[in-house]
Amino acid sequence: MEMDSLPNGTAASPGPTLGPAPTAAGPPPSSKLSHLANSLKLEHQFLRVPFEYYKKTIRANHRVVEKEISAVINGVSEAADKNDMSSDDAVNHLSSLVSRLQGLKRKLEEGSKTEHLQAQRCRARLDHLESADVESLSEWNNTRVNRILVDYMLRMSYYDTAVKLAESRNIQDLVDIDVFQEAKKVIEALQNKDVGPALAWCAENKSRLKKSKSKFEFQLRLQEFIELVRAENNFIAITYARKYLAPWGTTHMKELQRVFVTEFCKLYGMTLEPLLNIYLQAGLSALKTPYCYDDDCTKEDPLSQEGFRKLALPLPYSKQHHSKLVCYITKELMDTENPPQVLPNGYVYSSKALEEMARKNDGKITCPRTGFICNYTDLVKAYIS
Amino acid sequence: MELSTIKDAFERVVKKQKLCFSKSQDVIYQVGCEIEQTLTEILSAHDPTSPVDYRSVLADLKVKLNGIGSIPQLEGSHKELNVNLSKYTKLLERSLNSDISKAYRYVDFDHHIVTQMIANHFYREGSFNLGDGIIDEAGEPESTILKSQFMELHQIVEAMKVKNLEPALNWVSANRERLNQIGSNLEVKLHSLQFLEILQKGNLASALQYARTCLSPFASPPSPHKDEVVKLMGCLIYAGRLDSSPYSEITSPTHWEKSMEDLTRQFCSLLGQSYNSPLSMTMAAGFEGLPTLLKLANVMAARKQEWQAMKQLPVPVDLGKEFQFHSIFVCPVSRDQGSQENPPMLMPCLHVLCKQSILKLSKSSTRTFKCPYCPAEASVAQCRQLYF
Repeated sequence: MEMDSLPNGTAASPGPTLGPAPTAAGPPPSSKLSHLANSLKLEHQFLRVPFEYYKKTIRANHRVVEKEISAVINGVSEAADKNDMSSDDAVNHLSSLVSRLQGLKRKLEEGSKTEHLQAQRCRARLDHLESADVESLSEWNNTRVNRILVDYMLRMSYYDTAVKLAESRNIQDLVDIDVFQEAKKVIEALQNKDVGPALAWCAENKSRLKKSKSKFEFQLRLQEFIELVRAENNFIAITYARKYLAPWGTTHMKELQRVFVTEFCKLYGMTLEPLLNIYLQAGLSALKTPYCYDDDCTKEDPLSQEGFRKLALPLPYSKQHHSKLVCYITKELMDTENPPQVLPNGYVYSSKALEEMARKNDGKITCPRTGFICNYTDLVKAYIS
Repeated sequence: MELSTIKDAFERVVKKQKLCFSKSQDVIYQVGCEIEQTLTEILSAHDPTSPVDYRSVLADLKVKLNGIGSIPQLEGSHKELNVNLSKYTKLLERSLNSDISKAYRYVDFDHHIVTQMIANHFYREGSFNLGDGIIDEAGEPESTILKSQFMELHQIVEAMKVKNLEPALNWVSANRERLNQIGSNLEVKLHSLQFLEILQKGNLASALQYARTCLSPFASPPSPHKDEVVKLMGCLIYAGRLDSSPYSEITSPTHWEKSMEDLTRQFCSLLGQSYNSPLSMTMAAGFEGLPTLLKLANVMAARKQEWQAMKQLPVPVDLGKEFQFHSIFVCPVSRDQGSQENPPMLMPCLHVLCKQSILKLSKSSTRTFKCPYCPAEASVAQCRQLYF
C-alpha cells in the first residue's frame, strides 16, 4: 500500500505533484491517497473484533492447560500423602493421570488449530486493508458496503440473510458471523424468556464485565426473579407480583436483548451503533444541501428519495467554502476545463453542453429552461472563484 | 497509519502464541515422563521379596514434579504473550479511529426505513433472495412494486448477456413515447445489434429482411440516425466476414456493454430511480466524509462545544466530483452561500459576486465601485443576476 510512503500524510508522492498544482483540475493523486489513508483509519472494528476473538481463544485454552496440569500435580500429591495405598491402587491412579495428560495434549493441539485459524483471519483482514488502492477503490468500497450490511444484519439478528450475503459475495473471512453465533444463542434464549445462557455468558466474561461496571447481570437476575414469580401460583403476594410485575416481562426482555448487544459489542471492541448507521449518517450529512429537498432535485442524488430524505432530516447541512457548479444540461462539474458560460438572459451552462448544442443547431443556442434563443457568439464566460 | 507496523506487531503476537503453545507442550511432556517413569518403576518391581515402598516412590515423584515448576513456567510464557496482546490492542487504538461513533448523532434513525433501503439495494443488484430474506427476517411489509420493476430490468439484462434482445426490444417499444421524450436512441441501437447478430451468422437474406422492417424507419432524412443506418447497410457487403472488414469495430463487444448500461440507466430514469444504488452512493460519501466529521467532533469536544444540535456543519466536507448534484454558489467576498434573496450577480468584467456584496461595495447602489478581483469599475445597473 502506498500509505507507507506517506508518513503522517505530509510527504507527497514524488515528482509532478510537488510543483504548484493547477487549482481546479480535480484533486491531485496525493490528496486522493491521503483521503484513502484517512478512510482506512475508520476500520478499527474490522481489525479489532477478530483479534479479540483470537485473544479470547488463547486465554480459554491457556486456562484449560493450567487447570489440568495443576489437577494432575495435585493428584500426585494426594496419592503421596495417603497411607493406605495398595500397589494396584497406585498403578491405577498414576495411569489415570497419564491418560488425563494425554487428553490434555489432544485438547491443546485442537486449541492450537483454532488459534491458528483465527490468527489467519486477523491476517486476512490486514491483507484486505492493504489491498485497497485508489485505482480499484470502487470495487473495494462495494465489498466494504457488503461487509457493513452483514454487520448490520448480525446486530439486528437477521442471521440467515447475513450468512447468505457473506457466502454469495465470498467475504466470510471479512465478517464476524462466528463471533455473533455466540450472541445468537443468548438472544434467542432471551426471546424465549430463558435467561440461562445470558447468565452463563456473564460468568464466562465475569472479570471484564466487572471492569466495565456492567449492570447486566443484575438486570438478568431481576428478570429471573420475575420469571420465578410468574411460575409460582401459591402465594397471594406472588399473585400480586404477577399482576403488577409480570406485565413488565416482555418489555424488559426486549431491553435485556438491547443491553446484551451493547455489552457484547463493548467486549469485542465494536462500535455500539451499527456501522451502517454511522456511515449512512456521515454520508447523508456530507450530501445534504437545501437544494436536495426541491421537487426538481436530480434522481441521481440519493437525497431525492423519500427514505433518505427522512433519515437526513435531523442531520446538519453540509457546508461549502467554494462554489461548486453543476451544469443543468450535462450534470457535469463546471471548472477551468469545462468553464461556465452565460446566456444573455443570465442562465449559465457548461461550455461542453453549449458547444455541442451550437454544433448540432448551426450556432443557435436554446435555453432549456426558458426557451430563450440566441447565437453561440452572444455567450460570455463567467469567472467564478 | 502504518500498516506494516501493525502487521509486524501482529506477527510478534503470533510468535509469542506459538512459544506459549510449545511451552505448554513441554510441560505436559515433562510431567507425563516423570509419572510414566514412576509407573514403570512400580510395575517392574514385581519381585515379591523386596516390595517397593510406594509411599517413598510417590513422594519422590511429588518432589520431582514440584521441581519442574510447571505452573510458574506456564504462567511466565503466558505473561509474555499477554504483554504483546495488550500492546497490539493499544497499537490498533492508536493508529486507527478507535471509536467512529463519536461523530454519530443520536437521533431517531428509523430502522424500518433502513431495512427497506437495504432490500431495495439488493433488488437493484438482482439479489432478490437477499432482499426477500431481510424483509422476511425483519418482519417488514414487502415492497412489491419496486421489486417487480427491478426484476423486469434484471431479466432484460440477463437476456442481453446471452444475446437475446427480445425482452429489451419489447420494453423499448412499450415505452417508446417516454423514451423519445428523454432523447433516447436505444431503439435504433438495439435494432443495429440485432441486425449485426443476424449478419454475423452469415444469413444475408434474413439480415436484409430485418433491415427492411426494423431499420428502415430510421433511415429517412428527419431521423438523426440515418448515417448509422447507411453504415450498417455497408456491412451487408461483408456478410460472414465482418471481423476482417473495414467495419470490424462495429462488432466490438463494447457496443453490447454500452447498450446494457444505457438501457439500465434509462430504465431507472423512467422509474424515477438513480442509476447507482443510493445506498452505495451514500455509504461512499460516508467513507470519504467521516474522517472530517470525526476530526470535527474531536475538536468540538475539546472546546466543550456542542455540535449535535448544529443546523449546518461548521467546516466543509470535501467529496469527489461524483457526489456533486447541485450548483452551490459561494460568494468569494462574503463567503455566503447564494440563495433566492441573495443571488449571484455577474459584473461587466465577468467576475461574479453575490448581490449583498455588490450592494455593500456600491454603498447601496449610490456609486460605481472597483471589482475586488480586477481593476474594472462597475455600477449596480451593469450587473445582472445569474441562474445556475
